[in-house]
Amino acid sequence: MSLQDHIDGITVDRDEGGLLDIDREKAVALAVFLVPGLTLFGIFSVAPIVYSVFGSFFSWDTFTLESFVGLDNWIRSLTDQLIIHWPNMQELRYPMGALTHNLLWVVIHVPASTFLGLGLALLFADLKGRRFLRSMIFVGFTVPPIVIGLVLMFIYDPRAGLFNEVLRVLGQEQWVRNWTQSPQVAIYALIAGGIWVHTGFSMLLYSSALSAIDPSLLESAKVDGAGAWRRFRDIIWPLVRPVTAVVVIMGIIWVMRMFDIVYAAGGAAGGPNHAYSVLGIEVYRAAFRPPIDYGMAMVVALVQLFIVAPLALYIARMN
Amino acid sequence: MAEDDPLEPTGIDAGSGRATDHDQYLSVDDVPDIAPTAELSWRTRIIESIPAKRRALKYVVAITIAVLWIVPFIGLFMASIRPLSEIIGGWWHLEGMTVTFENYYRAWNYSTAPMGQALLNTFIVTIPAVLVVMLLGVMAAYPFARFEFPLKTTLFFLILLVMAAPPELIAMGNFNALREFGLFDTYMGLILIHIGWGLGWVVLFLRNYLLGIPEELEEAARIDGASRYQIFRTIILPLSTPALVSVAVIQFTWVWNAFFFPLVFMRSPELYLAPQVLPLMRGRVQVEWGLIAAGSIMTMAVPVLLFLFLERYYKRGMVAAVAD
Repeated sequence: MSLQDHIDGITVDRDEGGLLDIDREKAVALAVFLVPGLTLFGIFSVAPIVYSVFGSFFSWDTFTLESFVGLDNWIRSLTDQLIIHWPNMQELRYPMGALTHNLLWVVIHVPASTFLGLGLALLFADLKGRRFLRSMIFVGFTVPPIVIGLVLMFIYDPRAGLFNEVLRVLGQEQWVRNWTQSPQVAIYALIAGGIWVHTGFSMLLYSSALSAIDPSLLESAKVDGAGAWRRFRDIIWPLVRPVTAVVVIMGIIWVMRMFDIVYAAGGAAGGPNHAYSVLGIEVYRAAFRPPIDYGMAMVVALVQLFIVAPLALYIARMN
Repeated sequence: MAEDDPLEPTGIDAGSGRATDHDQYLSVDDVPDIAPTAELSWRTRIIESIPAKRRALKYVVAITIAVLWIVPFIGLFMASIRPLSEIIGGWWHLEGMTVTFENYYRAWNYSTAPMGQALLNTFIVTIPAVLVVMLLGVMAAYPFARFEFPLKTTLFFLILLVMAAPPELIAMGNFNALREFGLFDTYMGLILIHIGWGLGWVVLFLRNYLLGIPEELEEAARIDGASRYQIFRTIILPLSTPALVSVAVIQFTWVWNAFFFPLVFMRSPELYLAPQVLPLMRGRVQVEWGLIAAGSIMTMAVPVLLFLFLERYYKRGMVAAVAD
């Protein structure tokens, strides 16, 4: 009897004999492996989400559930000027509402950090010491975001800040100001800081995609006389395009979760007169700062989820 | 030496012209691409070791960008070792620089919440939250990678949904739950929340890694009569070590850096975590830059050093976590 037959024999034995027995053994094993992790996951992650979905249709007495109110919380929250401020939006004046600010982050931050990340990945791709250069760009992503927010406050300080010193050196004194506390420009100053931190992450993803490209492919294109642009368009881009979807979606998720940087620069109010508040800040203030409005906090947090959930499922479907 | 012409035959095919110089042919593999360095004159060697103009320019641009990128952190470090008057005058003025550790001393003993205690608290919360997530994560990932069981797809979908959810979404439910359990404002409460929150991505990440381990190894062990637990302990755990290190580094950084969860669940100043203390140091009238900078440097030192030492695992994990 060959070894293969022997193995087949065992498999057949297992399949035919004592099906129930094996099933019980498997069920016990499954429980041992899954239950501890899934219990904690269920209690502390899934249950609170279900609780928020459920609670968003009820009125609250601070932290206590009261009575069913239908879509009341939803209508009240989505028409709140803290979330969407229509009059100011028409005049392009901040604050425009947290949701608008978040979308502005998406529109400016995500393309900028994606392009910069791709550019730096291409620039560093064939240099000696590229690992070190990449680490210098990436290290900001490992720093606590609250520190990033404080660093931004420091850079934009009117006297001690480097940014204003650069403006003074360039002779642009009229622009010198406390950037994080000036309502009409602060959000752009913070977005610039967000791009600074997040570009390292985009660059890392692009770098790993670039290193998977066969160098001989590029070499032969070079020999055939393809210029740098042609090589990028015809060889590199088609191969890194799938990564771009991931980079963009991760960027959107990161921006929609923005909290620490805004809190560091503007406190729980999200800047002077909520000038650059984001949805996360509004959830925190509604839920944990008096006057407490649990219903609104739940609605706003769910809005955050609704915006990113389809994107996350898209990434999952892609593979 | 002549330029390497792809059309010109080399080695054995190079014809008699060159071959007559040697008594014996080298095999094709032995023919070096370029002349041995020692045979070149010093002049040529120096010229060749300097990159071409275009390439040199590329280095200059790349290094400039990389240095500019970390200038804000250099500024933070400079602010942390200089007195407030010099910081307000501009940390980039180097003449007459006074180096002092006063800021670190004051941050360490900061009256509202001493940084020393806050850093200790952060370790107390982070280390169990990382270790437990690693163990429970790999245990739960194993059935996801290998077995069929009912509700598998539903659970998978739930995990994905939670990964997309913002941390703010679970704050309200957990706030009420922890107060119910009597775990609000305790280390244990925050640790449990970090475990529950981290498990989602860890299970997904490790599942993807385990799918890449060939099943034949387990098959062989099963034939030898090993139980599922023995297979898990002796084959799966050792083989998944690299992925577990990645999980440890990334989860450690995430828990250590987290600001929102401590802000909501830790209310007593003696339990404050390091990131939570930093915004409190701002002061009322004049921003205490030196104090903030020293506190920030102490807080960020741990994840940054971890990244620098385990950079390979960190980067690989980051890429795998989002790309898979």
